[in-house]
Amino acid sequence: MSVGLSHFLTIGAVVFSLGLFCVITRRNAIGVLMGVELILNSANINFLAFSHFSSGTIDGHLFALFCIVLAALECAVALAIVLAVFRNFDKVIDMEQLTTLHK
Amino acid sequence: MEHAAFQQFVYLFWIPFFPLLGAVYNGLLGSALQRRLGEKWIHAPAIVFPMLSFIITIAGFVKLTGLDPHSRALYCNAWSWLHIGNLNVDIAFWMDPLGAVMAFVVTFVGTLIHIYSIGYMRNDPGYWRFFSYMNLFMFSMLILVLGDNFLMMFIGWEGVGLCSYLLIGFWYKDEKNAVAGMKAFIVNRVGDFGFIIGVFLLFWGLGFSLETFDSSSLATVTSEETHLNSSLVIREIEESLQIESVHEAFTGKKIFGFSLVTLICVCLFVGAMGKSAQIPLYVWLPDAMAGPTPVSALIHAATMVTAGVYMVARLHFLFALSPFAMTWVALFGAVTALYAATIGFFQYDIKKVLAYSTISQLGYMFIGVGVGAFSTGIFHLMTHAFFKGCLFLSAGSIIIGCHHQQDMRKMGGLKTYMPVTRWAYLMACFAIAGFPFFSGFFSKDEILWQAFNSKDMMLPGGGKIIWLLGIVGALCTSFYMFRSYFMTFTGEYSENPHHVPKESPKQMTCVLVILGFLSIFSGFVGMPHLWHVHNLFETWMEPVFESSSSLIASEGYTHTLEWMLMGISVAVAIIGAWVAGWLYKNRENPLPGKLLASKKQIIRIPYNLIYNKYYVDEIYQHTIVWLIMNLRLALDWFDRKIIDQLVDFAGTAGRWLGRFAGYTDEKGVDGAVNATSDMVIFSGLKLVTIQTGKLRNYLGVVLAGAIILVIANYLFF
Amino acid sequence: MSPAESLKYFNPELIMTGFLLLIIVVSLWKNYKGRRLALSLIAFAGLFFTSFALIQSAGENILIFHNLYACDPFSRFFKMIFLLCGGFIVLIVFQAREIKEKHLGEFYGILLSLILGMFLLVSSSNLLMIYLSLEFVSITSYVLTGFNRNDRRSSEAALKYVIYGGVVSGIMLFGMSYFYGLFGTLEIPAIKKGLIAALSTPYEASRPGSVQAMRLTVLAASIFVFAGFGYKMAAVPFHMWCPDVYEGAPTPFTAFLSIAPKIAGLAAFCRFLLTGFFENISNFLPVTEIPWGAILGILAAATMTLGNLSAISQNNVKRLLAYSGVAHCGYILMGLSALSGEGLFAFYFYSVVYLFMNLGAFVIVIIIREKTGQENIEAYKGLGVREPFIAVSFAVFLFSLIGIPPLAGFIGKFYLFAAVIHKAQAWYYLLAIIGILNSVISLYYYARIIKAMFIEKAVDEQPLQIFSFQKLVTFVLLIPIFIFGIYWQPLAKVATFLF
Repeated sequence: MSVGLSHFLTIGAVVFSLGLFCVITRRNAIGVLMGVELILNSANINFLAFSHFSSGTIDGHLFALFCIVLAALECAVALAIVLAVFRNFDKVIDMEQLTTLHK
Repeated sequence: MEHAAFQQFVYLFWIPFFPLLGAVYNGLLGSALQRRLGEKWIHAPAIVFPMLSFIITIAGFVKLTGLDPHSRALYCNAWSWLHIGNLNVDIAFWMDPLGAVMAFVVTFVGTLIHIYSIGYMRNDPGYWRFFSYMNLFMFSMLILVLGDNFLMMFIGWEGVGLCSYLLIGFWYKDEKNAVAGMKAFIVNRVGDFGFIIGVFLLFWGLGFSLETFDSSSLATVTSEETHLNSSLVIREIEESLQIESVHEAFTGKKIFGFSLVTLICVCLFVGAMGKSAQIPLYVWLPDAMAGPTPVSALIHAATMVTAGVYMVARLHFLFALSPFAMTWVALFGAVTALYAATIGFFQYDIKKVLAYSTISQLGYMFIGVGVGAFSTGIFHLMTHAFFKGCLFLSAGSIIIGCHHQQDMRKMGGLKTYMPVTRWAYLMACFAIAGFPFFSGFFSKDEILWQAFNSKDMMLPGGGKIIWLLGIVGALCTSFYMFRSYFMTFTGEYSENPHHVPKESPKQMTCVLVILGFLSIFSGFVGMPHLWHVHNLFETWMEPVFESSSSLIASEGYTHTLEWMLMGISVAVAIIGAWVAGWLYKNRENPLPGKLLASKKQIIRIPYNLIYNKYYVDEIYQHTIVWLIMNLRLALDWFDRKIIDQLVDFAGTAGRWLGRFAGYTDEKGVDGAVNATSDMVIFSGLKLVTIQTGKLRNYLGVVLAGAIILVIANYLFF
Repeated sequence: MSPAESLKYFNPELIMTGFLLLIIVVSLWKNYKGRRLALSLIAFAGLFFTSFALIQSAGENILIFHNLYACDPFSRFFKMIFLLCGGFIVLIVFQAREIKEKHLGEFYGILLSLILGMFLLVSSSNLLMIYLSLEFVSITSYVLTGFNRNDRRSSEAALKYVIYGGVVSGIMLFGMSYFYGLFGTLEIPAIKKGLIAALSTPYEASRPGSVQAMRLTVLAASIFVFAGFGYKMAAVPFHMWCPDVYEGAPTPFTAFLSIAPKIAGLAAFCRFLLTGFFENISNFLPVTEIPWGAILGILAAATMTLGNLSAISQNNVKRLLAYSGVAHCGYILMGLSALSGEGLFAFYFYSVVYLFMNLGAFVIVIIIREKTGQENIEAYKGLGVREPFIAVSFAVFLFSLIGIPPLAGFIGKFYLFAAVIHKAQAWYYLLAIIGILNSVISLYYYARIIKAMFIEKAVDEQPLQIFSFQKLVTFVLLIPIFIFGIYWQPLAKVATFLF
């Protein structure tokens, strides 16, 4: 069978759901960040797929490139913040225990 | 909004705003200034600002005289304010002869009373507050008389009510004063309710009537003018009502079987009843005497209480459309005039006497505007401002001179100690009683004559009953005013030999002299035609009341009859004064003392009735106030029952929502009010618990929300 | 037009960038007296010159940089709002010790870049640009939220913010990818054209059932994209980061966050919605059958209600103001859901009014937190006696937030309600009723603060020493509240027909 647009879109959707699942269920903050990366990359997959199969323009490829850069930026900032949390909360980055702000 | 035919006078904007600047200046800086720099820094601007307003008013007056009578008006559109749907209201000022006269009275008397207050309020710790409030009052009153639309009139109406409350309760540390202030405010509110209902009905009715306006019937109308909007601008309402079809639609409209015009006028008059202290909403005015005397003079004699009269005169074209409303106004005015005059008989507090006399004189003004003699009513308003102002300020002078003594029984023989005050008071008494050639004579007499002459009254015998009530009232007026004069100034001062009364300082006596002078001579601008002299006042005001003059009918009695009636009123005045003199001069006559001490029922019952003001205040206290207070207790009982039941059901939202619905049906809205608020707080407390602090819950909500939105939209749309 | 030609329309942003870089360079010098003042002056000057350039560019209405960026009155209006907000924040931070001097240069640098990001967001007319500028705004916000490095709450709030924001913008990106897939281009007007083409009959006839699928996809993609905007503007169900972040972030930044990014999100969403889904701006004919009015209406009702109800039990003033901000976003969404010129006008008007009200409230929160170190309502007890001017100004700001005449908040709320009621349809009346009920509920929690200030006794009767400059700033913020309550014609004139 030939791999068409729908297969890529399915993969994108699956990765998106996996990313969401990862974010919601993991306790380690770094793990959660991995989930965020998954979500962003799933969108990348979609863009690339659409750009290749449907549209004659390369807008999608460009968008994907920008997204990669942005994901990296976000990751950098997020990790810096995780580091700050690590320092302030006595070397803990467990999401379950970060609940001083609630209600 | 289009005043193409009228001249623009941009300084009109400053007439109300100068006093506002004064109020803000004293309000913000007054307390600091009074402490550090002294009283001069407070009263100097407080007097300069109203004086500037007065100068601009005079300039406007002069400008008006130069205009053609049919377009005799100045306007100033400050800025456009509300343009919502059909409603277009601007901050705009309009000075026609009526507005000019009112502004003149307000600014002139106001400035004089401010000058008087320098002496009266000296060394009072709240000096700065006093001048701030007085200027604020001037601002509100000028907005009321110069505003060109109902909304501004209402703002001024409410503003003067507020300032009245603030100034009555000026010495608020004494609870009595604060209570009097509240009473004034609350009774006023009842009146204001009627006023606002009247304005709503007018706007709505006019909108209805304009829809029937068929523009194709007018040959000259251009394509842009095919739709007129209902407006709150008084001039535009007047113009719309002069169009035939609109006029017919408006007058023909009925609500619940009552003619719309009558309903509007009656509602508006309810507002006037509250503001101008007519029966049954007059009860606040005597209590308002708790305020400082300049306040009583300015607000409760010369200006604020006359706002109701001004309103009826300004809306003459509306009132003229409804003979029923006119009769109602005139009748209430007449009954109030007599009623208040009788109460004045036995009062001992000099300010209370003057308060009842004010209520009575306001009744006369309403007789004037009620029978269609609008310019005469306003004329009496003007002369009343002068002589009543003079009376109150003299009373203030007396009170200060007698060291804050207000009981006339403890005064007497002041004519030797306070000559200027005495002569001013006497002249004003002559004016109010209606002695020939004093100012009150011309105005009151003209009102009574117009009442006699009127054909519009829907009473049997027409205006003659009103005339009769007025004449008897004039007799009483003359009697009690001269009673107060004789009790206060003649005889011996026996109170306290160590504190001899002395004449008041210059600021106060100068003002008394000016006002006394005007009490004597101001009547000559409005001499009736009887004297074969041009009636300046009427000619000046004629163009304002043109549109309704065709609707006012008169019997057309002869001049001879007029002379006779005049003779009767002069006689009445002299009789009243003579009887008062006979009974009270020099306290020689033992008759008053004997009557007071008499145990005979035939004397005691009427005396108690009248002395206690016909027990009206007590009646109000025991009916309306009792009703409201007990309703509160009933409500409280309902509330407690509801809350107890709810606390038992700390269950799910569905369960207590159902319960709540059940209770609103059962226990009525009252109980539900408290239950609602508790439910809100309770649901708030429950709802906030979704904010757990855990990120995964937050993201779960995002996901759930997005999915629900998509699915719901797909299914339903 | 090409980038080279477009540069001359890009002046305000260029000036902002220049000053941003200047601050970073100047902040390299440390430990000299007056450093705080110098940095603040430079930041303020940057904002001032940018606003100057913005006013100079009045009257332009073009798309530049190959239709990526729009310079039109709409974006200018909002850029001005952001500059005003930023200017006031700089004035406050100058004397707020919550931001320490050694980090002040970075704070200003990142703040200016946040404002630059918002400029870009409000002018973006291309999906890529929207996403990039949204991320620009978000990431700088994450950093500023965690600015107090030694404060637990700050770091925790930043972490929650970054993860939440990352996920939601990922969702938005996913939605955007489907838009790209459906219409083949990233430009927003193309959505409109594509939808019109897709829904016209010839297409339907050739591929039955595909329109149904397309409708579902467009619906899902729009909701996902709305998630991104909704998160920025704090609409239910995307608001949950709000209370935590507002409470944890340094208070001057909370003040900024509660106003500017929220309005930026709303404005960007407005532009997205109106350019992409509505055929005709003047009478709002929608291109598809996605019921934007209903969606926005329901979200508005939920947002208002949840914001107001949750605020009732709050004791921390920052958290309370966070929920109140959520509720105000609800009111604005209510006005937008009317989908009419009046609704848009109400939104513009309310943005300005909200700017002043909320800034004022937060300035006072900052002042009190500085002097007492507390953020709870207990810290406000007896303030009426200790510091009457501050207490009265706070009361005025709170009354304006409730919407009491004759203050500006009332006029703003009035226009919002008027826009909804003019639709004259049953559901809109229901929405208006919910809005009014919510205003009533909000009275309770605002009045709790006022009650604490004036009726309850203070623990310590000493007056707080408040800098007169801070009092001046409060006073300057009070003036528009009073003036716009009575004379709002000039603002109304500016705000009409912006789109």
